[in-house]
Amino acid sequence: MAKFILRRILIAIPMVLVITMLCFMLMSLAPYDAVDAMVDPRMSAETVAAMKDALGYNDPLWMQYLKWLQSLVTGNWGYSITTKAAVADQLAARIPNTIMLVLPAYLFAYVLAIVLGLVAGAHRGSRLDRCIDAIASVGIAVPSFWFAMLLIFVFGYLLKWLPILGMQTIGDGSALDIARHYIMPFVTLTVAFLPDNLRYVRSSTITQSTQDYVTVQRAFGASDAEVMFKHICRNVLIPVITRLGMAMPLLVTGAIITETIFSWPGVGPYFITAIKAMDYPVVMSILVLSSTLVILGNLLADVLCCIVDPRMRQGGGSK
Amino acid sequence: MADTSIFSQGLSRRSFVAAGAAISASAILAQFGMPAVAHAASDTFIYAIAGDPSVSPNPVTTSDRFGLMTLKLVYSPLWDITNEGTKYFLAESHEVSEDGLTYTAHLRQGVTWNDGEPFTADDVVFSYETMRDTEVANGYSDLNYGDDGVVDIQKVDDYTVTFTFPFLNPAGLEALSGEKFMMPKHIYEGVTDFENNDVNGLGIGTGPYKLNEYQIGQYLSFSANESYFGGTPNIPNVVFQIVTNENTGMTAIQTGQVNAWIGTPAQIEQLNPEANNLTVTPYSENRVSYFCMNAKRVTDEKVRKAFFFSLDKKAIADAAVLSEDYYALAYTFLPPANSWATEDVEKYDRDVEKAKQLLSEAGVSNPTLKFAYSADDSLQATAAVMIQEQAAEAGINVELYGMDATAEYQAMKDPDNEYDLYYGGYIMGIDPDKYSPLFLTEGAYNYMHYEAPEVDELFEQGRQQTDEAARREIYNELQAKIADMAVFYPVYSNMRLLVTTANVAGMEEAGLVPIYTFEDMSKLSMTD
Repeated sequence: MAKFILRRILIAIPMVLVITMLCFMLMSLAPYDAVDAMVDPRMSAETVAAMKDALGYNDPLWMQYLKWLQSLVTGNWGYSITTKAAVADQLAARIPNTIMLVLPAYLFAYVLAIVLGLVAGAHRGSRLDRCIDAIASVGIAVPSFWFAMLLIFVFGYLLKWLPILGMQTIGDGSALDIARHYIMPFVTLTVAFLPDNLRYVRSSTITQSTQDYVTVQRAFGASDAEVMFKHICRNVLIPVITRLGMAMPLLVTGAIITETIFSWPGVGPYFITAIKAMDYPVVMSILVLSSTLVILGNLLADVLCCIVDPRMRQGGGSK
Repeated sequence: MADTSIFSQGLSRRSFVAAGAAISASAILAQFGMPAVAHAASDTFIYAIAGDPSVSPNPVTTSDRFGLMTLKLVYSPLWDITNEGTKYFLAESHEVSEDGLTYTAHLRQGVTWNDGEPFTADDVVFSYETMRDTEVANGYSDLNYGDDGVVDIQKVDDYTVTFTFPFLNPAGLEALSGEKFMMPKHIYEGVTDFENNDVNGLGIGTGPYKLNEYQIGQYLSFSANESYFGGTPNIPNVVFQIVTNENTGMTAIQTGQVNAWIGTPAQIEQLNPEANNLTVTPYSENRVSYFCMNAKRVTDEKVRKAFFFSLDKKAIADAAVLSEDYYALAYTFLPPANSWATEDVEKYDRDVEKAKQLLSEAGVSNPTLKFAYSADDSLQATAAVMIQEQAAEAGINVELYGMDATAEYQAMKDPDNEYDLYYGGYIMGIDPDKYSPLFLTEGAYNYMHYEAPEVDELFEQGRQQTDEAARREIYNELQAKIADMAVFYPVYSNMRLLVTTANVAGMEEAGLVPIYTFEDMSKLSMTD
C-alpha cells in the first residue's frame, strides 16, 4: 500500500509540471499580456515599457517560466501583476472562505444524495422514486447562477429577508450576521452538488438490488430492511465513497460562479478577475493548487477504495 | 414486482421526523425573517465599486480608477483642473512667470497630516521629486521628458514651491495637478518599493477620510478626518463595497444595501428609478466615444469622407445610449463639455447622395470595410450594428469583427493591422495638448497610422503659444483640420450614470468629476 501511494505521488509531480507548462504557454499565446490590459492612452509609452521590463516580459518565454517555477519552489508564490498583492497572502485569506462555503454544502448534499438515492432505489418505480428522479433531473438542468439569482430576487428583493452581498455587514462580524449572509450561497451550492451524486446512488442501488446475492438473501428470509442496510448499502457506498476523494478540488474551485454572484470573498472572483486580466502569477498558482488537489483527490479515492473494498485488497476477486 | 416498501412499518415514525424537521426549519427561518438587512445607517455612505483597487494604493504608482478613488479620500493634490476651472486643495493660489516656464505654488498653511505632523513645502518637493524620478510612477511623463529635460522643483520657503519646466508647456498647470497626490516625507522617505512596503497601510494623508480597513475582495472602510482642512466631513463613515456582479449591484441599490452605484443606460431602464426611490445623476467624464480609420489601408480621403457622410450620428447615439439625457453629440476630438471644443468643423451631417457621389468620384464601387470593436461592450456592439446598417445604404459594405477589448487595442496599435476602422473611447484631460499622443504622426497612440505634418505643426504651435486667445484659434484650426482629414469620427460623449438612494444629498457641493466621481466627499451628506 505504501509503495503504491509513493509511486502515485512520484508520478503526480511531473504531471503537475506539465500542466503548468501548458498553461503558461497558452497564456503567452494570447495577443496581449497583463500590462497591456492595464494600459490607457494617458500612460506614456516609456512608462509602459518600463513596467514590462520590470516584470520580466522582455525575457524569453522559457526564462520567464523558469523564474516563476523557481520562485514557487522557494515558497514565493509571486505577486499579482494588476494589484501587486502577494498571491500567497490572498489565497490564504480566500481559501478558508471558499472551504467554509463548499465543505458543508458538499457534505450536506452528499448525505442527502445518499439518503434520497437509497430511498429512490429501494422504491424503484413508485411515485416517490419518480419524484426524486425528477428533482435530480431538474437540478442538473438548472444553471447555478440562475438559481442563485432566483434566490436573490425572492429573498433579497421581494421579501427583503436576507442580505445579498458579501460575507458580513461592514462593522458587524457577528456569527448571526455571517449566518444570514451564508444561507443563500449555501443553498445554491447544495442544489448544485446534489443531483450528480443522487442519480449515481440511485442507479447504483437499482443495479445492486437486481444482483444474485439479494435474491439469495431474500430466499434466506432476510427482511427488506436487512437486505438494504446490511448488504446493498455497503456495495452502493463503496464507489460513492471514492467520489468524495474526487471532489477534493472543489475545495478551491468548486464555487466560482456562486461566489462571484454573491460577492463572497473566496477564490472564485479572484480567479476570474485574474484570468480576464491575463494576470498569470495568480492563474498559475491557483492552477497548481487545483491540479495538485485533483491528483491527490484521485489518489485518495483509490486508496479509500482499496481500504473499503476487500475484493481490491485481495487483488481482484472472482465476482 | 410487489412493492414491498421497506419502510412501511416505519411510516408513522418517518412522518413524525419529517414534521419535526419542517417545524424546526420554519422556526429557524422565522429567526432570519427579520426584515431590513443592514440598512445603511445615515452615518455611513456605501458606494458599490466594480472591482478591487490596487492593494497598496500609494500616491506614486497607483493609476487605476478604484485605487485613485481611494487616494482621493485619503490624500490631496495641490489643485485640480476640471471643466469648471481650477479648484485648490493643498495650495491656495499659484502664479506663472513672465516666460511661462515657472509655476509658483503658495501652499495652504496650518494643514496637518492625520498623524499630527505639519504639512510643509518639504512634503511637496519630496512628492514631486519622487514622481519625477521613479520611472513607473503615474505622473512620471508629466515631469520627466527624458532627453528634453525634467521639471526642476525648488523650495522657496516653508509654504512656497516653484516648478520650472525645461520648455514652454501651456498645460503645465494640468501637468502638476489632479492625480499628483502629496505624500508625507516623514513617512515615505527612504521607501524604494512603493507597492510592497509597511507604510502604505498607515494611510497618513491630508484628505477628508482615513482608511480604516481594507478587506481584499470585500470592501474598504473609511472614517472622517476631523482635522480635514476643507472642514469636517458631513458623513462620518464611507465604505467602498466591492460588487463584481452587475445584477447583484442592481439589486443592492434597489434594496438600499448600498447608497451609490454606477449603471449603464440599459440597466437604468430596467431599474425603474422612481418606483424605487432612486436618483439618477448623469455627469460628464469628458469621455469621447469614437471610431477611427486606418489611414494606411483606407488611403483615399474621398472614400473615408463618403463613409462619414453615410452615417447618422444621432441615431447611433440614441440606439447605444438610449436617452438624450445621457449623452452629448461630439464633433471633434475634444469632448463637448470641454471649453476648448468648437463646433466650427465639418460635421458630416448625413447625406447619402453625397456619399454615393464621392464614391463614384473616387472610382470605387461597393467597397468593403473591416470594423473591429469590443464585443463585451454593449454600447459599442450596438453602435457597430447601426453603422453597418447606415453605411449599407450608401453602398458601403461594413464587416463586423467583435473581439475582446484588450485584444482590440493591441491590434489598433499595430501599424500593419488588418482592420480598416476600429472603435474606441478615451478620457484624456482638459488641455488640448494632452490629446497629442493620439494625433501626432509619431504619437504613441496614433491608431490611425497616418502622416500629417500639418497636424504636428499645429500641435507644436499650440504648445509654444502663451496667449490664451491665440491658443484657442490654433486649436480651433486643429480640430477643423483633423475633421477634414476624415480619419477620426467622434460619435458621442456619454455621461456616467450615478444612481443614488434618496437619502444622499450634497452632490453638487461635492462636485461630480471624472475618475473619482466625487471631487470632495467631505461635502456629501445623508438625510434620514
